[in-house]
Amino acid sequence: MTRRLPRIGAHRRRSRRGDVIGIAVVALLMLALPLVASSSVINVGVYALIYALAALGLSLLMGLAGQVSLGQAGFFAIGAYTQAVLVTRYEWSGLPASVLAVAVTMTAALLVGLPLLRLRGHYLALATLGFGIIVTVLATESDFLGATSGIFGITKPELNNRTYNSPTEYYLLLVPVVLLGLWLARNIVESRIGRALGAVNDSEVAAESLGVDTFRLRVQVFVLSAAYASVAGTAFAHWLGVINPNAANFPLSVKFLLMAVLGGVGSVYGAVVGAFAVEGLDDGLRRLIPELLPGAVGEVQLIGFGILLTTIMIFLPGGLHQLWTGARRRMAGDTSAPVPEDEGEARLEPVADDVPLLAREGRPAPGTPLLEVRGLTKRFGGVTAVDDFDLTVAAGEIVALIGPNGAGKTTAFNMISGAVPPTAGEVTMAGTRVEGRKPHVFARAGATRTFQNLQIFASATVLGNVMVGRHLRSRSGMLGAALVLPARREERAVEESARELLELLGLGEDADRLAVDLPFGRQRLVEIARALALDPDLLLLDEPMAGLSGTERRELARLLRRLRAGGMAIVLVEHDVEAVLALADRVAVLEDGVRIALGTPDEVRHDPAVIAAYLGVEPEDEAATAAAEAGTP
Amino acid sequence: MTDLLQLLFAGLSQGAVYALVAIGFVAIFTVSGVINLAQGEFAALAGLVAISAVGSGLPLLAAVVLAVLSVALVAVIMERLVIFPVKRMTTLVSLILTLGVSTGLKALMLLVYGPNAEGLTPLTPGSFSLGGVSIRYQELWILLIAGVVSLAVYWFYERTLAGKSLRACAEQPVAARLVGISLTKASLLSFLIAGTVGAIAGVLASPIYFTSWESGLTLGLKGFVAATLGGLISVRGAVLGGLLLGVLETLTAGYISTGLRDAVAFLLLIIVLVARPAGIFGRTAEARV
Amino acid sequence: MSLEVRGLHAGYGRLAVLHGIDLTAGEGELVAVIGANGAGKSTLLRALSGLLPVTSGTVHLAGTDVTGYGPEKLARTGLAHVPENRLVFPSLSVADNLVLGGYTRRRGPAAARKEARDRAMALFPRLEPRLEQAAGTLSGGEQQMLAIARGLMAQPRVLVLDEPSVGLAPRLVGEIFSALGQLRDDGLTLVVVEQNARAAFAVADRVSVMDRGRVVLEGDPAALSTDPRVSGGFLGGGFAADADATTEAAPATGATRAADRR
Repeated sequence: MTRRLPRIGAHRRRSRRGDVIGIAVVALLMLALPLVASSSVINVGVYALIYALAALGLSLLMGLAGQVSLGQAGFFAIGAYTQAVLVTRYEWSGLPASVLAVAVTMTAALLVGLPLLRLRGHYLALATLGFGIIVTVLATESDFLGATSGIFGITKPELNNRTYNSPTEYYLLLVPVVLLGLWLARNIVESRIGRALGAVNDSEVAAESLGVDTFRLRVQVFVLSAAYASVAGTAFAHWLGVINPNAANFPLSVKFLLMAVLGGVGSVYGAVVGAFAVEGLDDGLRRLIPELLPGAVGEVQLIGFGILLTTIMIFLPGGLHQLWTGARRRMAGDTSAPVPEDEGEARLEPVADDVPLLAREGRPAPGTPLLEVRGLTKRFGGVTAVDDFDLTVAAGEIVALIGPNGAGKTTAFNMISGAVPPTAGEVTMAGTRVEGRKPHVFARAGATRTFQNLQIFASATVLGNVMVGRHLRSRSGMLGAALVLPARREERAVEESARELLELLGLGEDADRLAVDLPFGRQRLVEIARALALDPDLLLLDEPMAGLSGTERRELARLLRRLRAGGMAIVLVEHDVEAVLALADRVAVLEDGVRIALGTPDEVRHDPAVIAAYLGVEPEDEAATAAAEAGTP
Repeated sequence: MTDLLQLLFAGLSQGAVYALVAIGFVAIFTVSGVINLAQGEFAALAGLVAISAVGSGLPLLAAVVLAVLSVALVAVIMERLVIFPVKRMTTLVSLILTLGVSTGLKALMLLVYGPNAEGLTPLTPGSFSLGGVSIRYQELWILLIAGVVSLAVYWFYERTLAGKSLRACAEQPVAARLVGISLTKASLLSFLIAGTVGAIAGVLASPIYFTSWESGLTLGLKGFVAATLGGLISVRGAVLGGLLLGVLETLTAGYISTGLRDAVAFLLLIIVLVARPAGIFGRTAEARV
Repeated sequence: MSLEVRGLHAGYGRLAVLHGIDLTAGEGELVAVIGANGAGKSTLLRALSGLLPVTSGTVHLAGTDVTGYGPEKLARTGLAHVPENRLVFPSLSVADNLVLGGYTRRRGPAAARKEARDRAMALFPRLEPRLEQAAGTLSGGEQQMLAIARGLMAQPRVLVLDEPSVGLAPRLVGEIFSALGQLRDDGLTLVVVEQNARAAFAVADRVSVMDRGRVVLEGDPAALSTDPRVSGGFLGGGFAADADATTEAAPATGATRAADRR
């Protein structure tokens, strides 16, 4: 797992308290500033607060969705222009105008986001940059928007017959807005949505397989991030009194980015700290550089920005937040450590074999066909990895998929679960056609999977991993999460059921450890617990036994039998043939992508094609090779 | 008809400049997965260095050589100072890092060379008319030199051991290390190439399009768009992408509106990225150079 | 000893995967390392060839302490690693893949380079007609051959291979392993990591069995195949199942035996 920028998200150690303390400290400092500072400093503070909102939105996009936007100023400008038009041309008063301005910006973000968020990484970043430039061009070209000179005469806001026209007054008007923004952001980060997006950043395919609709969530965060920018834009328009195409300019987007990065993308309050630091630096450099270098004019403070951006990324990728958490950790003494492999095995609950587990109302009756796979085929270039594969799986049975390494088992799994689109063929899960769609569609149809190459959510605890599994069994959305109250009870229920599952798999004591600190074997069990949290009707397990000790294997086999007794259908790919033959009701054998046998363990065991292909034939043994080839359909 | 030819020709010479900048993006991206947002600044810096060298009395050719060499050096220093020390280069980190370098270089150019846009002396001044189409000698130089440089870069990747080793790094970095190719040296070499072709683009473009501390932004972005049209991993694609973009831009400016010129590139970028992420000339997603 | 590994610990980040591996391979010896998925075999090879930093322990290559060498330096010192899934350079021609295989010897005598190439071609004559073809267009088996040939171009003392049998039909597996046997007979030292224990047992001089980051059994294949812990499936995982097959002379009896044990 590569280490990325620190991210925001629930169930990371210390993140909750860290953010609360951070927000409290920031709030106190913000409120203290007008008491001690001169009017010109407060003027800088006003801009810092305005920009902080836009930077906070960007920080959410980067921290939650893991994507960089270089066009945040575009949304800032849309908000500002809408406000300016409504106030100056249609004589709306400030507050209703800003509500409409935010709504307009969010709509624009939705329209822009729907195509753009199909892109990732560099492409998204540069496409958003392009978007920012297009906004600048349109503003410059539009006479309605005042072309290059922009819109003048936006008055200072008036509330309750009070005009906020001194820096101190405007500053104090903005502080509660920023605090509200912080509070909403923090709630979202700590919510079901924040958790799901954190999981997406760690492993998109695993999060999707647990039912997280990545694209939808990314669009939501993008729109939210634009909403923050537009609030900043409306505040900016009123304060400056004039708005021109520069508001959408690239350097402003860079400034927002610098604020978010400097404060620390891994934190919510960081954007505000970053905004004050960058605005202070901006102001300072604008004064300092012309004194040092007489004749220097224009945007000379950019040099400080450039140096700051690079040095932070190299030496302090977590921003100022990283310094703060580092200091806290040193004070607290970091006690966390990976679990040594010999520390003992996971103790799965010993119970009699056939006690049904996780049976629930509404589960399909045993024998009901759940999964239908028809003619599934995958070609990579000239190689056919899976060739015309058929399989039907009914509720309450265990089907094993075996075959030599590279026979196409995992590819078949990937196609069935939607992670990889098939070249041809159909997959129907509980009546829903799922092939070629995303894994969350498969999950919604009641099925999920584990991975041969572990796809653990590296930045979350064991508990956090399993809680993501409850994504589809909980429903609070972005709005509910932001307002926190309705979501809180649901969160508690999710945590409780996740802990129960961990106990079941003998991972109760590991619940609050980082999942990546566990040995591979136990990480595998975490993946199984996570999958079970979805409460699926069908479970696909890719080599669940690998890395487990003998005892753990037996306990896992027992668990799988109990799940079957509870009515769950299980398909497993496994290398441990003996374990498979003892466990499965039916066995499918793949060789070179072709299903060469399907039957009960006994039938498969005696199938000559299986014996020849799976167990292998000495190449010099011509007769056996011929026999094997004759036996292959 | 003459108008069209005139626009096409102007578009091609503009596109040739984009093509060179695009090659720089491809060279770096294939080796280290970094999109170098400072690529446009390489071009701008070369233009400004050459202009000031000519201003201080150096012969034009010497000034051009000095500009290309110093920008190549800047690119190499950038790699050592900013790219090399980062152990785990992710998309986010690489974007912010190169954005930082780009911003810093811009400000440095502003401090040293001031805010005004200037043009370098053309290699051959003047223009001539061919069938009603007015052609500047500098535009011919641009096409000629950009063509030669593109072919040289192509030959380098196809025929030399060093070029093949860069392709190996791009396609299978792990296997490349296992056969003994140093990824850090490869990355350095890729920046050297990007700096050199970027600088050549800068000095070629300056006499016609002028250079200021800010001109790297749009040039860099257009170069990126061109590289993306070509799939971001192919020199040939980058060149074709650059020419196509140049022509589309001048046609838009000529027939629709000059102001929309910049919007075209980005609309094209968004459309191509969403509809055909492998680029319009890309055949597969496999890494090629 | 051509290759001597003592007390090797390595892992990913804070997670330890190898817990003190000892492994030796004498000159002209073919050592097979087998074990189930997740046993740490690939991690061992990655640590051996410098792709993964070693936490503690030592690696000696022909008497030189190479612990902590990066892959580039190790390649120059004489260890060639044929990675899992071949990883040939797909857009480059077969010939260029070979040229890059000899990258560390690019300043060496041309005669030695030519000899290495001739040997590789003699070993895998199938590659000869495909020299100008892009490597990505080869079949899986040919790509494996190319990957091995590419490794040989570095003129190594020790060749380590990660799962050369993955995804190959049994006949091709036989072909690859008999080539490995031939290289051993020519005096090259080989370490082969395999899940396909059966193929490995057929040619190996010695076998090490790994489970969860440790070498749990070691010995010559004949002795190991009768070890109850191997044939009895005590260790679980693919190893046990495959080893069952290995210990049986003919596949049919293998299946029968498996059935009998039920």
